[in-house]
Amino acid sequence: MAVDRDRSVWRITAIARNAFREAVRDRVLYNLVLFVLLLTAAAIFIGELSGGQERKIIVDLGLSAMLLFGVFIAIFVGVGLVYKEIERRTIYAIFAKPVGRGEFLVGKYLGLCLTLLVNVVVMGVGVSLALIYVSRGWDPLIVNLWPAVLLIYLELAILTGVALLFSSFSSPALSALLTFFVFIIGHFSADLKSLSVSLGSSGARWLFGALYYLLPNLANYSFITPTAHGHSPPPEFVASVSVYAIVYITVILAVATLVFSRRNFK
Amino acid sequence: MNDRTKSITVAVVIAIGMVATFALARFVDARRPPVDVSANDESLYLNAKTAKRISLGFNGLAADWYWMRSLQYVGRKIIEQPDEVALDDLSKLDLKMLAPLLENATTLDPEFLDPYEYAAVVLPALDVQEAIRLARKGIDANPNAWRLYHHLGYIYWQQHDYATAAEVYGRGAEVPGAPAWMHAMRARMAAEGGSRDTAREIYTRMFEQSADEKVKDMAHKRLLQLDSLDQRDGLRKLLVAYQTRTGRCPATWREINFPGAPQDPSGAPYVLKPGKCEVELGEGSEIPIR
Repeated sequence: MAVDRDRSVWRITAIARNAFREAVRDRVLYNLVLFVLLLTAAAIFIGELSGGQERKIIVDLGLSAMLLFGVFIAIFVGVGLVYKEIERRTIYAIFAKPVGRGEFLVGKYLGLCLTLLVNVVVMGVGVSLALIYVSRGWDPLIVNLWPAVLLIYLELAILTGVALLFSSFSSPALSALLTFFVFIIGHFSADLKSLSVSLGSSGARWLFGALYYLLPNLANYSFITPTAHGHSPPPEFVASVSVYAIVYITVILAVATLVFSRRNFK
Repeated sequence: MNDRTKSITVAVVIAIGMVATFALARFVDARRPPVDVSANDESLYLNAKTAKRISLGFNGLAADWYWMRSLQYVGRKIIEQPDEVALDDLSKLDLKMLAPLLENATTLDPEFLDPYEYAAVVLPALDVQEAIRLARKGIDANPNAWRLYHHLGYIYWQQHDYATAAEVYGRGAEVPGAPAWMHAMRARMAAEGGSRDTAREIYTRMFEQSADEKVKDMAHKRLLQLDSLDQRDGLRKLLVAYQTRTGRCPATWREINFPGAPQDPSGAPYVLKPGKCEVELGEGSEIPIR
C-alpha cells in the first residue's frame, strides 16, 4: 500500500516536472521580461506623474500586473494542459504506462502551479526591488507585500484548477471563456450573496445562494489595495482562505478526475 | 530568387515600410483638425460606484489612474494658462472635471489620502461645498486619519469660519496618534483664527505633512508671502517714520539707511513707490500677490 502511494507520488512528480519544463519551453516565463520592463518604467517615470505616490502606485501596479499576467497564464496554459496531449496523441503513450488519469491531471495541475509559483516569486522580488529603488533603501511595504503575493498565488491556483476542470470535458476556447467568467463572477461574490438575501423569490434566493457557495469567492484573495496602504491581512484570515483554497482545489480536481476518467479517447 | 535575395527583399520592404509609416504619420499629424478643447472636459464614462463595481481586484490601480489623471488635468490647464496661478487659487481655470476625477479616485480607494488633501487645497477656490463633502467623505472612510481633519479645518479656515475650523481641529486632536499641534491649532483657531500667525502655523504643518511636491510648493510660497507681508509692514513703518521726520516720502532706499533695495524672501528686490511711502513686490518676485 505504502509502496503504491510512493510510486503514485513519483509519477505525479514526474508529470508535474514535465508540465513545468513544457511551460518553460513554451516561453511562458517570457511574461517576466514584460513585467520587469513595466516595473522599471514605472519606477523611473511614475514619480513625475503621481504627486509623490510612487510607492503606492508601484505596489498597485506590480501586484495587479502579477494577478493579470497570472490569470492569463492560468487560463490559457491551463486549458491547454490536457487538450494538447490529446491533440498530439501523446496521451495514448502516457496512458499505455501505469499512470492513472487522476495522477495525470494532478501532475499537470502541479506543474502549472509550479510555473505560476516561479512567476509570482520573481515578480514579488521585482516589486520589492522597485520599492527599494524608489525609496532609496529598505521599504517597510516590502514586508506587507508577501502575504498579498501569497493570496494572489492562491487565487491563481484556484483558477488553474477551474481551467483544468473545464478543459477535462470541453474545448480550449470554451474552457478559457468559462474560466474567465468564473474569474469575473468570483470577484462579484459579495453581490451574489446580497442577491441571495435580498431577492423576493425563494427560487432565485436559492439559486444565487447556491452560486455563492459553488463558485470560488475570489474577492477574498484581493488584498492589493490595502497592501499598497501598508496593511497586511491578519494571519488567521490568510490561514482560513488558504484552507478554503486547498479544499476548493481538492474538490475541483476530484470532479475533473471523475469527468476525465469517464472520457473516451477513441 | 534564392533565399538570400528573398530575405534582403523582405528586409528592404520592411525598412521602406517603416520609413513610409513615419512620414505618413507626420503628414497626417500636420493635417489633423485642431482638438476640440471641450473634449478634455467630457463627463467621465463611468461614475465612481460603477467603476468600483467593475474593477474586479484592480480598484487600487484604477484609483491611481484617476489620481494621475486629475493631476495631469490640472497640470495641463495650468500650462495652457499664460499667467502664473497659485495651486490654491485656480478659480480662473475651468476645472469642472476635477471633482468627479477625485470622487472616482476616492471611491475606488477610500483609504487613498492624497486625493482628499489635493481636493482640500485646490477645490475650495472652485466649489467649496464639494471640497467640504470630499473631506468629510475621507473622514467617514478613515476616522483615524487625523490629517483629514487638518484638511477639513483648512477649508473652513479659508472660508473664515474659524468656529467650525476650531471644532474640526478639536475632533482631529482626539484621534489616537494626532500630533500635539492639532490641540494648539484648535485653540488658535478659536482665539485668533484670522491672524497671520495662524496662517503661518497652517502652512508650516501643510508643508511638513504633505507628500505632494505641488502642495509643498504652494505651502512654501504662502509661507514666503507671510514673511514678506511681515517685512513689508516693517518697511512701511520705517517709511512712515521717515515721512513724520522729514515731511516727505523717501525717493531712494539710501535715504532710510539701506545700501540698496532690500530683498523679499524669494530674493527679488522690493520696489519703493516714489512719493507714496509704499513698498511693493518687484518684478521677478516669486511671492504670490493675492
